[in-house]
Amino acid sequence: MNLLSHYKYVFQMQFLRNAGFFVFIALIQILISIGIVIGFTYLIPSPDTATILFLATGAPTIILIFTGLVILPQQVGTAKSDGYMEFMRTWPVKRSVILGADTALWLLITIPGIVASTIVAHLMFRPGYDISWTVVPALLMIALTSIGVGYGFSYLLSPTASLGISQVVVFGALMFSPVNFPMERLPEWLQALHEVLPIYSMAEVMRASLAASTFEATAGNYINLLIWCVLGYGGAIIILNKK
Amino acid sequence: MVLDVKAVTKVFSGRGRNKMVANDNVSLRIQEGEIYGLLGQNGAGKTTLVNQILGLITPDRGDIQLLGESVIGSPARARSICSVQPQSQVPLGFLTPKQAVTLMGKMRAGKQFDPKRVEMLFETLDMGEWANKEGEKLSGGAKRLTAFCMAVIAPGKLVILDEPTNDVDPVRRRYLWQVIRNLTNDGTSVILVTHNVLEAEKAVDRVAIIDKGKILTQGTPSEVKSSVSNQMRMELSLASESDLEIPSWALSSHRNGSRLIFAMDPREVSSTIEWAERQVENGLILDYSLSPATIEDAYIELTSKKVVVQK
Repeated sequence: MNLLSHYKYVFQMQFLRNAGFFVFIALIQILISIGIVIGFTYLIPSPDTATILFLATGAPTIILIFTGLVILPQQVGTAKSDGYMEFMRTWPVKRSVILGADTALWLLITIPGIVASTIVAHLMFRPGYDISWTVVPALLMIALTSIGVGYGFSYLLSPTASLGISQVVVFGALMFSPVNFPMERLPEWLQALHEVLPIYSMAEVMRASLAASTFEATAGNYINLLIWCVLGYGGAIIILNKK
Repeated sequence: MVLDVKAVTKVFSGRGRNKMVANDNVSLRIQEGEIYGLLGQNGAGKTTLVNQILGLITPDRGDIQLLGESVIGSPARARSICSVQPQSQVPLGFLTPKQAVTLMGKMRAGKQFDPKRVEMLFETLDMGEWANKEGEKLSGGAKRLTAFCMAVIAPGKLVILDEPTNDVDPVRRRYLWQVIRNLTNDGTSVILVTHNVLEAEKAVDRVAIIDKGKILTQGTPSEVKSSVSNQMRMELSLASESDLEIPSWALSSHRNGSRLIFAMDPREVSSTIEWAERQVENGLILDYSLSPATIEDAYIELTSKKVVVQK
């Protein structure tokens, strides 16, 4: 029995088990991402094109952060408390296969929201999208970092603690992170914190690939994402294999 | 030999210096095609033992061998040899029983998976009406049976069932025991974890009584019973609250409302029946039943004896 067929059946099992939930979440994400682009223009009177471009290129990052650091940890918390996690640990497959199949599912449900918000923002505001080929690897990298870190802390911590963290992340990512506005507006200590946390790097990498002629990401941003991604998945694998 | 558990000890350390000995020098062996019952109260250490057999946790001392190879070195191998029905309900979400069982079968057997076996199981267990219903909408018993089917759809060499009959109605329980018996005819061994002692007595080939992490006794059900006592028990329902004089040969007795139970030596059976018939004629008792001591009696005696010794 090879890894590939294990992967296929685990993927099917996880997909069908959550099918209704995934459809619901994908719809919610379409609403949230369009909401970020349109809703924030209500908050800011007569926004210029640069501001709208910031919002429009920030929305996909917010979706990926929500999925990986908010919805996923809540799902993991539920799976822990209702015994499904323990049941998965008895399956005759490698733990990394389960993690891989779940990651693919989470990745898939973010795509409708990202595509919808980008199309809507383009049609309404034409803020100056300049989509580079790097959008595919960038999206993958940001999603994997976000999902990986989400797995890491939700496997490590109790369901209550990880629920707490995701509440802070929702609020922090939306209001206190340089995703929808430039980093310079934040106080210095928050800037220093965001140099370490992955959120700023996610936003930079996303922007650089959606509006390549306006923004660019540094090598430091990519390295930051890579480190968090490895930390997240590494932690999750260790905890899954822990006895 | 399918499973050989050798002197396994597992200690959990809680907060501070609290230590909980979950398994204390446990040894047992299971042969091919055998149904082995693991009886014990809540917290006796049954599930800890099962988790060690699956390689989910590692013993502190001792070794566990599955088909001649240690579990500790290769837990992934252990998970493909054993299939499990967990004690807690499996949350199926939107999966229908048919999807869940089919996918688990494919995951276990790959190309050798036989979809006809799903139909066969559902038919035997009379689960047809639920086969295509979403898991969330099923009753507790239907979910439990689905989890059972997931464990036996493509059984490894060892099937571990943790309280499989919880929530299941009496009619389907019988079908379920039939499925388990058929498994063993194909050479699969079964570990049945339960505290439902009476039910286990009829189903198992051998049984171990485990209490506070230790195996108190193991053997065939009749060996376990005779290790404790060779008594008969008489159960009466009294006609009224009036006092009935308990015969002098009763070894011990207790009364629970209008029910009176006493134990006695098997040699007294005929005189006891004569005595009981007289009481029925006098209208003092409504009916009576006489039975050999059950494994439940042995179980209670063994586990409560320990408490007495500790005092």
